[in-house]
Amino acid sequence: MSGCYCYDGTLAGLLTLYPHLLAERAAVERISAAPPDQQSLFNSEICIATDQAVAEVFWQHLTRRLSPHSLKLLRRCLLADHPQQELLIYHYLLLEAEQGRRVDGMLAHPQVAPVWKLAQQVAREAHRYLGFVRFQQIQGGLYYAAIRPDHRILLLIGTHFAERFSDQQWLIHDQRHGEGILYDAEKQEWLLLPMEVTAQPDLAPEEAQFQELWRSYFSTLAIPERTNLRLQQGKVPLKTRSCLTEFTV
Amino acid sequence: MATDLMDRLKILADGAKYDVSCSSSGSSRANSNGGIGSAASTGICHTWTSDGRCVSLLKILMTNACIYDCAYCINRRSNDVQRVALSPAEVAELTIGFYRRNYIEGLFLSTGVVRSADYTMELLIQAVRTLREQYRFNGYIHLKLVPGADPLLVQQAGLWADRVSVNLELPTRESLALLAPDKSRDAVVGPMRQVNQLITVNRAERKQSRKVPRFAPAGQSTQLIVGATGESDRQIVTLSEQLYQRLDLKRVYYSAFIPTVADTRLPARPEAPLRREHRLYQADWLLRYYGFSAHELLDEVSPNLDSELDPKTGWALRHLELFPLEINRASYEELLRVPGVGVRSAQRIIQARRQGHLGIDDLTSLGIVMKRARYFITARGRYAGEIKLESNTLRSRLVDGPEQKRPVQLSLDLEQPLRDETASLITGEL
Repeated sequence: MSGCYCYDGTLAGLLTLYPHLLAERAAVERISAAPPDQQSLFNSEICIATDQAVAEVFWQHLTRRLSPHSLKLLRRCLLADHPQQELLIYHYLLLEAEQGRRVDGMLAHPQVAPVWKLAQQVAREAHRYLGFVRFQQIQGGLYYAAIRPDHRILLLIGTHFAERFSDQQWLIHDQRHGEGILYDAEKQEWLLLPMEVTAQPDLAPEEAQFQELWRSYFSTLAIPERTNLRLQQGKVPLKTRSCLTEFTV
Repeated sequence: MATDLMDRLKILADGAKYDVSCSSSGSSRANSNGGIGSAASTGICHTWTSDGRCVSLLKILMTNACIYDCAYCINRRSNDVQRVALSPAEVAELTIGFYRRNYIEGLFLSTGVVRSADYTMELLIQAVRTLREQYRFNGYIHLKLVPGADPLLVQQAGLWADRVSVNLELPTRESLALLAPDKSRDAVVGPMRQVNQLITVNRAERKQSRKVPRFAPAGQSTQLIVGATGESDRQIVTLSEQLYQRLDLKRVYYSAFIPTVADTRLPARPEAPLRREHRLYQADWLLRYYGFSAHELLDEVSPNLDSELDPKTGWALRHLELFPLEINRASYEELLRVPGVGVRSAQRIIQARRQGHLGIDDLTSLGIVMKRARYFITARGRYAGEIKLESNTLRSRLVDGPEQKRPVQLSLDLEQPLRDETASLITGEL
């Protein structure tokens, strides 16, 4: 058959699908995350129903079998926002089933290189957002930050912010993927939740002043004789600027 | 009050911005219980200004008043600018306000010298102490040492800060005497020596007991102004090498001289200062991470770096007898010397070739940039450069030429009726 598979879009769904495919060493052309009501439209697609138990067993199996390096790679790829990440990971797992931990060193292999590249993109973006998060203090003392990253990097940056701002209540909202991390300073723990934009938050009274100070500081720092807008744009792409205090009025 | 603070911040940031040190790396400080902040060992850039330089630390002066009259400095005594100051409490408050909003990674505190070196140094220490003790701030702090300050104060500074620095500014004793008559070379190098000793002692002590507080965990750095005086690149790179080897500096920064004040002691604006600065940084990286030494990069015959070629390519063209290099056999150190191959590429090649010989295509999928490397390597015996390994021809291919223009379609003519032959070309009719 065509080799097109679909799952319900959840991690558990994907982890149910993989053992199924790996057992048959199926030749896969496409893996899509189709919502259930569309299934009948594509007769050629084989859909696997999510089974929490299978998924958990398979995840246990992966954590035991894969090297820490591979596991890190896959974790990053799972957080990517890429049309074919499920397929790339499947190809990687296929090769791993054959070669075992030797895949760690097979960096140039066509089933490994794309996974590594994608993982690197995700990791780079996550690192960049350690700097690009801008908190605004809102009424009641909560620090709120909106971001619009390409990939779902929240899980990769949560620990950093939880350690750094352990004494303040904060919330980082990924508006692009509709989720956010909420940190509870009392319990010292953070939680990933689905979130939507409903309204602009009311800012705390001193917030506007700090933003103004930061903007004027930022514009003073540039040395006119050295202006290099191209370099700046490479470092701060336009798509990130809507959420950065110093680039918005 | 608010606008007043804004004005002072502007003036003090303006006075500090010519100090190019930006890094926030090299120190990993965990957040102690209930405090705020941490220092990430990789360093984090938070934004970039319109000149393409990163902003990582809140870089300000405590005051821009100064008793010295250094010709290159915007804050010199004889320069007619408004003099303002921030109190230690204000500095701390501002830092925390910015830090909590994740604008910055920490504080870079410098200053003009008021009254005396010791008095000024004490002011700086007071600000940093307020941050560490009162606000329990664990973020990154870079503190400037005031030349001529008491050794006891220097020692204190290192205990509060992650990194300390004194700017050498001018590479030779003579230029220092010319442009900064009030500063002596010993007043600058003295604290650097002292800090180096303290760091060495502290490291040894911390091996005995982890309870010993850390002294300047991110080490010390310095800055050289390039182009204000007539030194050659060779003098500068050799000096940097000595600073790295003898004083164990973490970084030497280079700042292309931009005249901020007119002075007869200063040269007219030098040509392409930014390009020269860029080449010096490349040479600096070769010293620190690629195992090169200064005399390999520059000698009496060519005392200045080639502005058209990066220093590593320049070196490779002078040593063509070593190339092409077979990447499946070359050692890590040899790989690092191939133009276009960096530390990461070299590591990846080493890792990947354990699982089988690498071909040219494999290199591309490893993410190795072949633009320059292809002329200097073979893979499985195949040479990918396609031209003879000969200095002049290679050089003409490798210079950073002006960017090539790609052909563009100027317009699509929709109005004009198609002539027969054009129409038949498109439709395929005869």
